Amino acid sequence: MAILEEPIKEVLVLKNYIDGEWVESEGELHDIVNPATRKVIAKAPSSTEKEVDEAVKAANQAFPEWRKTTPLARCRCLFRLKELLEENFEELSRIQTMEHGKTIDESRGETRRGIENVEVATGIPSLMMGETLEDIATGIDEYLIRQPLGVFSCIAPFNFPFMVPLWFAPYAVATGNCVIVKPSPRDPISQVKLGELVDEAGFPPGVWNIIHGGGEVARALLENKDIKGACFVGSTPVAKEIYKKCGEVGKRVIAQGGAKNFIVIMSDADLEKTIPALMTSFYGNTGQRCLSGANALVVGDDAFYKKFLQEFVDAASKIKIGYGLDEGIQMGPMQSEEGKRRVLGFIEKGIEEGAKIILDGRKVEIKGNYPLDCFLGPTVFENVKPYMTIAKEEIFGPVASIIRAKSLDEAIDIIHTSRYGNAACIFTSSGKTAREFQYRVQCGNIGINIGIAAPMAFFPFSGMKDSFFGILHGQGKEVIRFFTESKVVIQRWW
Amino acid sequence: MRLKTASEVINFAKEVEEKSAEFYEGLAKMYSQHGDVFLSFVKENNKNKLWVQRVYQEVVSDALETGFSFEGLDTDNYLIKVDLSEDKDLSEVLKKILEMEEKIQKFYIDAAEKSKSLLADVPRVFERIVKRREKRKLEIKNLQEVRL
Repeated sequence: MAILEEPIKEVLVLKNYIDGEWVESEGELHDIVNPATRKVIAKAPSSTEKEVDEAVKAANQAFPEWRKTTPLARCRCLFRLKELLEENFEELSRIQTMEHGKTIDESRGETRRGIENVEVATGIPSLMMGETLEDIATGIDEYLIRQPLGVFSCIAPFNFPFMVPLWFAPYAVATGNCVIVKPSPRDPISQVKLGELVDEAGFPPGVWNIIHGGGEVARALLENKDIKGACFVGSTPVAKEIYKKCGEVGKRVIAQGGAKNFIVIMSDADLEKTIPALMTSFYGNTGQRCLSGANALVVGDDAFYKKFLQEFVDAASKIKIGYGLDEGIQMGPMQSEEGKRRVLGFIEKGIEEGAKIILDGRKVEIKGNYPLDCFLGPTVFENVKPYMTIAKEEIFGPVASIIRAKSLDEAIDIIHTSRYGNAACIFTSSGKTAREFQYRVQCGNIGINIGIAAPMAFFPFSGMKDSFFGILHGQGKEVIRFFTESKVVIQRWW
Repeated sequence: MRLKTASEVINFAKEVEEKSAEFYEGLAKMYSQHGDVFLSFVKENNKNKLWVQRVYQEVVSDALETGFSFEGLDTDNYLIKVDLSEDKDLSEVLKKILEMEEKIQKFYIDAAEKSKSLLADVPRVFERIVKRREKRKLEIKNLQEVRL
């Protein structure tokens, strides 16, 4: 199969989208590099504080009118956006592959998940409805109204550059708020394309804004008194910091942090179906996913363990690596050289601490003639102990650590040693075992014979312990609560 | 060529439908007495292509095993070349077409099986196309009988 055509033909100079206009930033430009080809595909600005203020001002000015716009009219903008996203589905997906490195199947999957959030947000006339109770006392009625709050910021991660802002922004604007999206400075192009479609969909100026930049811009957004709340997805230390900062200044916050996800494989699991699911879990998105499998906990006797290990390593060693726009590729590069270096450090640490490397991704062979700068192959460690660094820390790369457990009880105990609680999955053919797992495991997202426990748009994207800071989660009904204030009215007429 | 990813499988299905449409268009011109039948196949091919594209695009998810579920599908098992040179007798062509349709049908059966636990709606579309191709085979057999 041929390599799909690249939608970005020349180096783009990205602009901010403020008050319905594409505005050139005065900030310094940095290169956005295609991690597979290492070609510069865009230049993105680090916006100035003044530009952040302008975006906030525009959003605040747009808020009173947008709030008054009927929910039906607001969701019509979202319907138009949904149509435009469908029309541009392939281009959006290919841009993600170019800016991030993921395979085209993965990019299309990301686009679809983003669109699903827009679709769910179009249900806002029902989702935002309040509650009423007549006669709370004789002749007195009480009701609850959900009202928008103002301006929210959304600080996006690099691993799902297109989808993550859509966990929040469609719901923010559907509920009558205005939003400022700060795309990841590493791969902001798909957000710009999304901004073009937002513009075409006819959202009033100032309702949806995009401002480029890194930590400084994020800080400016968090410190701005005219922003009511922040949505963040990224690493745990930053999530914790943002949570703290928002608490200090009284902002609402959803802060999703890192993860170290355990996948339990029971000896009664259907290995033929389990192995492809594990490949996606451990190596999909090149392991750069907060729902990725990281530690495989194998419960079973020596014979089962041996069989599992052989099949796992065999499948991992056959993964085709290369440029994600080649349709035959199963795993793309890491998003950055820095990310690759970080993973290499963990691999060395694993060896140093006594784990046995049985598939070494450092010796990577790729399809096509591309620089190896960001490429890494699948790595498998055996004899991993729960106290080792590679079993504890988030690697965020294509590395699987195999740990043995004697029983489900021991497996759950090991899971609970982790400070993270994003996701945990189990592969089994026993309903009883699955229920026990779901009941006891302290993680926000549970997969049963599912390798990536990614909640659909109409469910909250959960998370516990050091994987989530906040109360209400992104997506679903919870995010509607997050973006609205509950006002209670008690009424009596004489 | 061995197919590995969902993207490759979907693309192959689309190509099969495109080439099949082209082929029957040519056949309709060459054997105009059966032009209606062949052109109805063209229409069906175009619809199949649309279905396949749409269903994939609507259910693909980053969380699914799109890259790892199609081991064992080899395009060489599903392709056959039919010579449409002017002097070919229609009965010979029809015989070959039946073989071709059987191979294409086999592709959809195998692909549906592989994608069953993966993309719920995709195997349903593949199975629907299998049924349509079964009907098509009957129509081709009818044409053979007419010729006899």
